[in-house]
Amino acid sequence: MSDIYKSVLLDHFHNPRFKTDMDDQFIKQRGSNPRCGDEVEVGVRLEATEDLGLQVRFRGRGCSVCLASASIMTSCCNGHDRVYLESFCDSTLAWLQNETDHVPAGQDIAALDAVRNHSARTKCVLLAWQALKLVLEDPKLVRK
Amino acid sequence: MCALSASTNESAWRKDFPFLEQQPNLRYLDSAASTQKPQQVIDAIHNCYAYEYAPVHRGLYLQAEHASNVYEQARQSMAAFINSDKADSIVFTRSATESINLVARGWAGSQLNSNDTVWVTALEHHSNFLPWQQICRERNAHLRVIPLDQQGMLNIEECGELFSKQTKLIALTMVSNVTGQIPALHTIIREAVSRGICVLVDATQAVGHMTIDVQQLGCDFLVCSGHKMYGPTGIGVLYGLPERLAQTEPLLLGGGMVDLVGDESSEWVAGPHRFEAGSPNLAGAVGLGSAVQYLQNIGLDNVREHTSVLADKARARLNGVPGLELYGPSTGEHSAGIVAFNVEGVHPHDLAQIASEDQIAIRAGHHCCQPLMRALNVSSTARASFGLYNSYNDVDALCAAVERAKSVFTPRVSGYTPSHQHE
Repeated sequence: MSDIYKSVLLDHFHNPRFKTDMDDQFIKQRGSNPRCGDEVEVGVRLEATEDLGLQVRFRGRGCSVCLASASIMTSCCNGHDRVYLESFCDSTLAWLQNETDHVPAGQDIAALDAVRNHSARTKCVLLAWQALKLVLEDPKLVRK
Repeated sequence: MCALSASTNESAWRKDFPFLEQQPNLRYLDSAASTQKPQQVIDAIHNCYAYEYAPVHRGLYLQAEHASNVYEQARQSMAAFINSDKADSIVFTRSATESINLVARGWAGSQLNSNDTVWVTALEHHSNFLPWQQICRERNAHLRVIPLDQQGMLNIEECGELFSKQTKLIALTMVSNVTGQIPALHTIIREAVSRGICVLVDATQAVGHMTIDVQQLGCDFLVCSGHKMYGPTGIGVLYGLPERLAQTEPLLLGGGMVDLVGDESSEWVAGPHRFEAGSPNLAGAVGLGSAVQYLQNIGLDNVREHTSVLADKARARLNGVPGLELYGPSTGEHSAGIVAFNVEGVHPHDLAQIASEDQIAIRAGHHCCQPLMRALNVSSTARASFGLYNSYNDVDALCAAVERAKSVFTPRVSGYTPSHQHE
């Protein structure tokens, strides 16, 4: 694993972005991996803030890869609209699962390349993104 | 017998294992998951296919007769290895998991009645837990778990009904695959057997580490697998008392296990072949027989001493690391060469990956023991497990990797300011 990527992932692990509790205004979905105890909850706030877009948050516990991936996800997604999030989430999931080599455009996202080809860590890195996809499919959010 | 070379600090047995000889920097500390294979076992499997291979119990020609004899010799070797006085008490299966499922389905499936109880312990691997959970559900019976006390030992005092009339079977491990704990089985087995309660011992983790004597244990069934005793994957063993095997229905029906096939009903052959439908795994049995011979040549007492010394050393070293928590027994004598631990602030998966970068292979996760993880109040642990090829060098490397992981995961201040917290 490259040292640069490693330091980016470690920074997100130690200083997670948008990791907070979420109130009832958030549409939330959990992702968990009982194999290792990784557990994240991802939420998108129902009401978009004018000019600031949708609020995307997460909380949880787990290994550095799982939590760094969630933090990179929220920092890339927060403030965007639903249409953008759907496209961004799909393209990132495709990239993380090696369906494409096209790296999605987003702050620090390239650092996830360090774990993209570690089959043992695939579940860890995908957890938050799969939870986000479920949130985005929620009818309450889709209607917005 | 000390196999640790004074000049290199390496194990004298390491050279027996080509996988490790080809990777001199690899520190393999995952023998509890699966052991590496000595050249002797690899050669035995190769030679079987090259010079001895023919159908087992199916041909009248010389080669087939020889192959059948070789297969049965492996059964005899395994019987002698666990001190069974009857080779017919040994059934070859695909794995210890299959062996337990065979007893759960084939024996308990017909012997369990509504409101009967099956007991397991909090130490069990999922393969000695799930088959009982499932068969109890199907038979409307109860599954109960012997808990652990504060010291992590089996808390029999909490189980007033363990030896009650409702108890039909007790299934328990000889060695925990997580902590290496060696529970005191003799008292439980003696009490159970005197009341006619069937006892199954899961010796999968024990078989490559210590002497197993089924007559001394007095259990009804015992299971183990080849791949954790320096033998091949794909072969497991079920030992059963003749009267218990006679009560057991085969799971697989087909060639080799029938006496008479009628249009309406059929009759099974007697003995272990009744449970070995399909073409037998000749090379697997031969490899297992060779692993038995390898361990017997070294001596199980020497094996146990070697792995215990290393586990003791590792525990002593890790015990001094701030923020590191050890699980299970405190000395190698009771730990079958396994050390489970967690490091504060470092997820076990991260620890295993850091170790992997240093060419140290350890396991991280729940080790197929989620009930035990709950009892220990953790979601997962790191685990280092020692085999014949390990040495003090491996202990040193493990401790260095733990220190490096701690250093990598020490929190550092970043330039990032979490502005959303001020929204």
